[in-house]
Amino acid sequence: MVDNWGLQMKKLAIKIEKVSKSFMGLKAVNNLSFEVETATCFGLLGPNGAGKSTTMNMICGKARRDTTDNGTINVFGYDPEKNELDIKYLSGIVPQENNLDLELSVLNNLLIYARFYGIKKNDALPRIEYLLDFMELTEKKDSKIRTLSGGMQRRLIIARALINEPKLLILDEPTTGLDPQVRQLIWDKMRQLKNDGVTILLCTHYMDEAYQLSDSLIIMHNGKKVLEGNPISLVKDNIEPWVMEVNTPDKMADTRLQGAQRIERTYSRMMIYADHIDELNQAAKGLEDRDYMLRQSNLEDLFLKTTGRNLNE
Amino acid sequence: MNSTLTVRKIKSHPPSLVSRVLSVWFRHYRVYTQNLISNGFPPFLEPLFFLAGIGLGLGRYVGLIDGTPYVIFLASGIMAPPAMFTATFECTFGTFIRLVFDKNYDGMISSSITVRDLFAGEMLFAGTKGLVFSASVLCVIYPFKLISSPLGLLAPIGGFFTGLMFAALGLFITSFVKNINHFNFYFTGVVTPMFFFSGLVFPLDSLPPYLQHTAEILPLTHSIRFFRAFCFNHFDSQFAFSCFYIIIFTAVVGILAIRRLEKRIIS
Repeated sequence: MVDNWGLQMKKLAIKIEKVSKSFMGLKAVNNLSFEVETATCFGLLGPNGAGKSTTMNMICGKARRDTTDNGTINVFGYDPEKNELDIKYLSGIVPQENNLDLELSVLNNLLIYARFYGIKKNDALPRIEYLLDFMELTEKKDSKIRTLSGGMQRRLIIARALINEPKLLILDEPTTGLDPQVRQLIWDKMRQLKNDGVTILLCTHYMDEAYQLSDSLIIMHNGKKVLEGNPISLVKDNIEPWVMEVNTPDKMADTRLQGAQRIERTYSRMMIYADHIDELNQAAKGLEDRDYMLRQSNLEDLFLKTTGRNLNE
Repeated sequence: MNSTLTVRKIKSHPPSLVSRVLSVWFRHYRVYTQNLISNGFPPFLEPLFFLAGIGLGLGRYVGLIDGTPYVIFLASGIMAPPAMFTATFECTFGTFIRLVFDKNYDGMISSSITVRDLFAGEMLFAGTKGLVFSASVLCVIYPFKLISSPLGLLAPIGGFFTGLMFAALGLFITSFVKNINHFNFYFTGVVTPMFFFSGLVFPLDSLPPYLQHTAEILPLTHSIRFFRAFCFNHFDSQFAFSCFYIIIFTAVVGILAIRRLEKRIIS
């Protein structure tokens, strides 16, 4: 399969080069390039409307990239424009919105989905049993979808996406609206899949999720890639390591802010970023415990720094 | 049973076109038969009401039509409308709900199913429903000895083609619809007049010539002619023309509909 892409040499699962996508003259994705290595998790981050979903849709053939600027997409050696079916056959997709057949039982939902991949009932049944166990849904096998909680439906959608033993798992906001127990469970399962050699493309708004799972990620803004790297070094290299969140900014005298590298103000709060914790400890003197929180800066701070605090809609 | 989620394919190639289309058919079949009693009930009862109400009630005031008692004339066409209605509902409201509200299609085309497979399977399912609905009407009217020719037992085949044809038309209409209420225009403006002006309740030659020509444009006219040919064992050139019409209409409108829906789903 297509050696000149260099996919096999670097063991890449996905390679995207200079891809754009316009909707009515507006560039939803603008000259985007990135590579995803096999058996890693790649995070796609960005505010609403940044072009994440469009990017995912172009990868699995649900959106067609612009043909005007010679962008290329390569997934396991296939081009979604020409080999949509081959890519979908190798992939599992967890959509943002649940779309199970509500009238049917858990088992029937999975059996029908297996059939879409041409998997016969006898081959599908042991696989379904395994996946229900994997997603801790075994006792719900015969329940109607209507009777399942949101968390169970989400786990079932993930099980459904795994029915064809995909090499690539595409997750669009997999844990939105779920309780911490379910989120942790899903993250754990995703790590297990990665160890088993599955490549994961993760689109999320949760920075902790991206930080936990991604081996590398990009932050997109207005259709463009603004940052790329692995989450740990991205945070280390691009933002001050310490931050103090002050809930009572009027109690902060300006004289105590000398050690701060950067200050962000919102209506009710103040964020003080600094290279050293001592400077922030110094600034915190005179404040009560509930007036502030001192912590290490994280991916969310970096995300807000790069994409701005303004709403993007 | 495998102990890990190894990257090993159960099969190495995507399934064939036939297998993909049938898998969509199978999905619709499973969902439909979940509520078999409430879904399967109307096609058995409606023709009885229709024949009793119109055929017996009105029939007393109507003389013979081409030498045939009115209730027999009516019975020979009555297998067509249920096929039309079931395929039309399936591929207008049904399709729209799956497309916009339930987002089922999004899930289906995430697997190894293309948009074309999806709607080909959907049309095939609507055709099957047409066949079953026509056949159930036949079951109800046959014991009353309203069908004279034994070939009438094969007439439900017309239900399959009627179902396919109205599925194609329904999908074509749906490809334009942005708001579910807009289907009212189609039902009131197209489906209802078609029911009255397609030769079901009275023969077309009793209409003024310009309306006769208009009726020849309507798809249901050709379905009804198909059924009548079997019920009266009378296959003439008009029957041949209707078969031709049904095939061409289904193919052209079906392809246009699927192309338009593909553009709507794949951005």
